Amino acid sequence: MPAAAHPAAADIPAVEARGLARRYGDAQALRAASFTVAKGRFLTVLGPSGSGKSTLLRLIAGFERADAGDLRLFGRPVEAVPPHRRSVGMVFQRLALFPHMTAADNVAFPLRMRRWDARDIPARVERFLALVRLEGLGRRRPDELSGGQQQRVAIARALVFEPQLLLLDEPLASLDAKLREEMQLEFRRIQRELGVTTINVTHDQREALVMSDQVIVMEGGRILQDAAPETLWREPAHPFVAGFLGVGTFLEGVAADGPALDVAGRRLPGRTTAGAPAPRPGHPAQGALRAERVTLGPAGTLPPGSDAAVEAVVEDAIFEGDRILYELRLPGLGGARLRAIDADPGARARHAPGDRVAAGWARGDFLLFDASDRTGRLP
Amino acid sequence: MSDADGRSARGRAGPRPPLAAYPLGWRVLDALEAAAELWPRRWGGAVKWLMLLPALALVGLLLWGLGVMADASLRAMDFRTYRLAEEWSAANFAKAWGSAAFWATARRSLVAAVAVTAICLALALPYAYAMTRTRRPGLRRLLLIGLFLPFFIGQVVRAYGWLILLGQQGMVNQALGAAGLGPYRLLFEYPTVIFGLVQYMLPFAALMLAPALAAVPEEVERAAASCGASWPRTLWHVVIPMARPGLIAAALVVSTLTLTDFAMPAIMGGGGSDFLANLVYDQFFRTSDAGLGSAITLILTFLGTTVAAVLLTMAGIAAQGGRGRR
Repeated sequence: MPAAAHPAAADIPAVEARGLARRYGDAQALRAASFTVAKGRFLTVLGPSGSGKSTLLRLIAGFERADAGDLRLFGRPVEAVPPHRRSVGMVFQRLALFPHMTAADNVAFPLRMRRWDARDIPARVERFLALVRLEGLGRRRPDELSGGQQQRVAIARALVFEPQLLLLDEPLASLDAKLREEMQLEFRRIQRELGVTTINVTHDQREALVMSDQVIVMEGGRILQDAAPETLWREPAHPFVAGFLGVGTFLEGVAADGPALDVAGRRLPGRTTAGAPAPRPGHPAQGALRAERVTLGPAGTLPPGSDAAVEAVVEDAIFEGDRILYELRLPGLGGARLRAIDADPGARARHAPGDRVAAGWARGDFLLFDASDRTGRLP
Repeated sequence: MSDADGRSARGRAGPRPPLAAYPLGWRVLDALEAAAELWPRRWGGAVKWLMLLPALALVGLLLWGLGVMADASLRAMDFRTYRLAEEWSAANFAKAWGSAAFWATARRSLVAAVAVTAICLALALPYAYAMTRTRRPGLRRLLLIGLFLPFFIGQVVRAYGWLILLGQQGMVNQALGAAGLGPYRLLFEYPTVIFGLVQYMLPFAALMLAPALAAVPEEVERAAASCGASWPRTLWHVVIPMARPGLIAAALVVSTLTLTDFAMPAIMGGGGSDFLANLVYDQFFRTSDAGLGSAITLILTFLGTTVAAVLLTMAGIAAQGGRGRR
């Protein structure tokens, strides 16, 4: 982006939000959201529907106004700037292409509306159609293009006028899995090629991890964590974040020193995560465990690499091709349930429903969270 | 009926639950389906034509009437005997062609059709837009009532209402008089007729536009804004082109209804601002010249058809299938 050339402007963030709030009737859609996005970065706002992520995007695009808080784009307060005067390109959930225009006219539209020199427009439209790999399809109308091709027109239309900021409102949600993965990589490629600061909104954790430099996890209008994808994965700051990023098992218990979790008289060693408040000994706590970090072994043994093991009964073994998913019951822990994934079924013994096994894990994989305040916990 | 097999297969699938468990409407449909079983299956293909029969009968009647009119239009009236001539001639059309009064009336009808259509579309568009876009249910309800209420009040009643309001001693002139103005001659002028017609046609236009505007997703308008289009440009470049089928349909209804209108020019025009329909009425019921009346009727039908054809061509058949020029 041209702004990066100016040395003094280099450390001004692309987006700076301070205490943004928005209410619809009785529902508080967004509560005091504060974050910054550095120039050229790819931010994903991850959360379930109704978490406030789309509201956040609409505030940045200028379609709605915040009830409170301060929003700056590239250092400029934008409260009073209408959407068509913000330098923000957007790809919409249902794409919102103009059905009465050809693909090329759709892409040319922002240039015409922004009064670009008419002589430059055709070449520029061609260049951007090529960027999204739609060479030669410019004369088709949206209804004559496939879903993936329409997606690409929408991307070209959002980027063609060199916006300072690109917003993606779950544009991949309606695609089938294969096309979605292809488009995720495509977005990443184009974003890197143009270096445009991008904010993507999604409820797909894989998409967030694959595409982003920075991920914000939202729930109930609040930002729960703002971190790099790897940090989010390794150090979830909230049990909701852990659950949303694929942690399959939560064991309820009481916090103990060590740190550890006491469940039905058993002391299970674990660790706290950076950014999450440490559970206080004697208070309710929960331990989160990823299914793929659980190792199964013969009953009564400590499976290799484990710091702790519990007795488990196999309830179901689901063959998923490259892996086997075990649903386990833990009679020693008051009948709690545990999921385990054997990612290399060929190398280890298979277990059948009814088998008694030992389920073990390393202390570093058992994440302990305070549960005295139960809000935001997954069931 | 062709799906009878599937239906009976489903019917056999299990014990029937108690009838009372289903709403009355379902049971009525069950009875109709049972009755349909009596219809011989070999004649199944005839059913769809049977359904068209009433409409076809009405259209046929209309065409028959037009044929009678066409026949009469080619027979000159003999004013000594008050009978139409035995042999065909173009005398009636020649008479209309040579009459300054006919041309003035025809021009008045056409100008009114164009002007009323333009004014109605311009006024109905914001109304229908507000009605389909507002997030306040109270306002939407109010606008809907405002749209449908005029349909409960007939055209003649409304025209008389305007007579009372706009007369020399009417409320408008009284108000102007209180302000030291007038009185003005507000009635029995061409612009008054146009005004009355606009007031009468506006709900039709808004009613036809509303579904077309509702079909334009708000997300598309936001997309236009994010592309840098101000609201007027979004309206011009995106909303109006996307709502084109509705605009064409509204124009079609308003222009043909205005072109052929009778009551407004008769009541609010006071005889000085007649349209072609008034001229036809005069021929049939004042001078009793059924031949000339029929000729003018045919000309009016031709004009209306031409206007409709022009509008449909402008639509590029878009109004039919939603897929415009390719």
